[in-house]
Amino acid sequence: MSWLKRLWQGRKVSITQEAREVELPGVGRVQVARRVDCLGAVCPRPQLLTMQMVEELAEGDVFELLSDNPTSVETIPSLAMVLCSTHLATVRDEQGWRIYIRKGL
Amino acid sequence: MSNDNNAVAVAVEKEGWLAQRSNQYAVGIMALVLLGSLWTLSIDTRYIYLLVYVWFGMVYGMFLQYGRFCMAAAVRDLFAVGVPRMAVGMMIAVALYSIIAATVTVGGFSTFHPNAMGWHIMLGGLIFGFGIVFTGGCASGSLYKAGEGNVGSMLVIVAISFSQAIFVSASGWFDRLMPTAWVESAVAKDMPEELSVQDGWFDIFTAGYVWDLKGATLAETLGIANPFVASFLVNTLVVTILPTIAILVLLYAVYYKKGYMRRVKISAPQFGDHVRGMWSMFTSSKNTAIAGIGLGIFAGLQMWVTGALRDHYQIYNFGEMLSAMGHTTGLSIQDTVFDPGYWYITTQEAQWGGWIMQQMGINMTDNIFFGLENGLPNPLLNAPGFMSIGIILGAAVLALSRREFKWKLPSLETAMFALIGGTLMGLGARIGMGCNIGAFFATVTNGDPSGWVFLAGMTLGGYLGVKAFNLWIERRSAKQDECEL
Repeated sequence: MSWLKRLWQGRKVSITQEAREVELPGVGRVQVARRVDCLGAVCPRPQLLTMQMVEELAEGDVFELLSDNPTSVETIPSLAMVLCSTHLATVRDEQGWRIYIRKGL
Repeated sequence: MSNDNNAVAVAVEKEGWLAQRSNQYAVGIMALVLLGSLWTLSIDTRYIYLLVYVWFGMVYGMFLQYGRFCMAAAVRDLFAVGVPRMAVGMMIAVALYSIIAATVTVGGFSTFHPNAMGWHIMLGGLIFGFGIVFTGGCASGSLYKAGEGNVGSMLVIVAISFSQAIFVSASGWFDRLMPTAWVESAVAKDMPEELSVQDGWFDIFTAGYVWDLKGATLAETLGIANPFVASFLVNTLVVTILPTIAILVLLYAVYYKKGYMRRVKISAPQFGDHVRGMWSMFTSSKNTAIAGIGLGIFAGLQMWVTGALRDHYQIYNFGEMLSAMGHTTGLSIQDTVFDPGYWYITTQEAQWGGWIMQQMGINMTDNIFFGLENGLPNPLLNAPGFMSIGIILGAAVLALSRREFKWKLPSLETAMFALIGGTLMGLGARIGMGCNIGAFFATVTNGDPSGWVFLAGMTLGGYLGVKAFNLWIERRSAKQDECEL
């Protein structure tokens, strides 16, 4: 029955701890503390995950969110504002978009 | 980010725009629509009336996709995550469209009819608003998302189509829940026998309740004759723009002000700071507002073009043209079909579902909705139905050319939400006389205050929907934690 469970839950959202450096256009080198892969997830899950990350991370930490849901990708920068965080960059790649957000202003 | 875009732009230039697979598909869709249009016109030039719906649908689809114009996102982002962006964009679009609608009305080309005002609109909006939180898209939002390759949104469309068709035609024990006064009033209307008005709760509701209500724009209620004063000052300024400004100020004060002031580090804001804050709120909704202007201009143009075509062919409804061409099946007993002449979503979807059920041998025409008012035309001759298909195709063209098209299969959970939410949306749309477009957007912008009642119901429904959705997510994540232990 595990296939049924997989179908029920869809592609799993994975959240991984990282200590990786990325070069962001216009921002420079940034250390990424966490990576959230929510490819395939539709609204409002990417937004809710963003809120969860901002809640969990420490001030100044950066996380990377992968999404292929265009509506979420456009809303998340505004959401970052509401959460008093900084949207660093949105980078387009083959699968979708990578969004970088730093907790705090 | 700009470097990245430049890199992509250079790559595109090297290969040529058409070398990209997704652009080829986009051009392919456009070519198919063009060839299909020419082929249809070669059969009979009068089909131009139907094709106008397709073309305008495509334009709407492009703007919807560009602005991510989604009422569900507006309500949900506001209540679930506290982001007013889409709601602000939607309000700006409403204000702009109302000015264009007034211009069209003064020009004498308006095809708009006000909705009957009553409590049912509030209730319909509430059910509809509850549903859209679970489907992740309103009626028009589901259409453009289907065009982006979202299979879950396609399921929503299927659910809306069939649930509406079933709700308007079903009869059974629940008929007895209708107040006796409605039944009496419905029977007193002396409707043709084949409609069996006393059977079917929706017939009793329509004939015994809605028909006894009045629907009018504010200018009509006040009896203002001067078309300029009626359209611009009363219907647009009083009914649309002033409430819109009030809502925008409210959104700013509740959702935007605090975050903005903290970001610009102002502790004692002056009036000017608030003005700058409002402006910053507007500009963060830029794409939706641009889409709103585009939608407004083209929705106005559609009323004008359809009105002019009706003049030219001397008809008041597409049904007459269909019977003149020999297509008499699927017309209502008044020889009409659903033909709003402006932007509308849900009724034609109900007709799709109803037509399929009719083909399966179920009598779908013994009710007011299909039998008397809207008819049940073959989907190939359903003009507003082609507007909906046009929206999907237009959204697909733009999504493909922006490299945003991606087939997305829903998980079973999302699929279940799509079907249940879509069913609720169908029910709400019929009780409330339309969706967020037909009952709200096209309504308030033409000076009919009933649209605000729908929005109030929808907002309340959306709020309750978000609460229910969060409960579900919490319950589910609690369960998952247990499993991992």
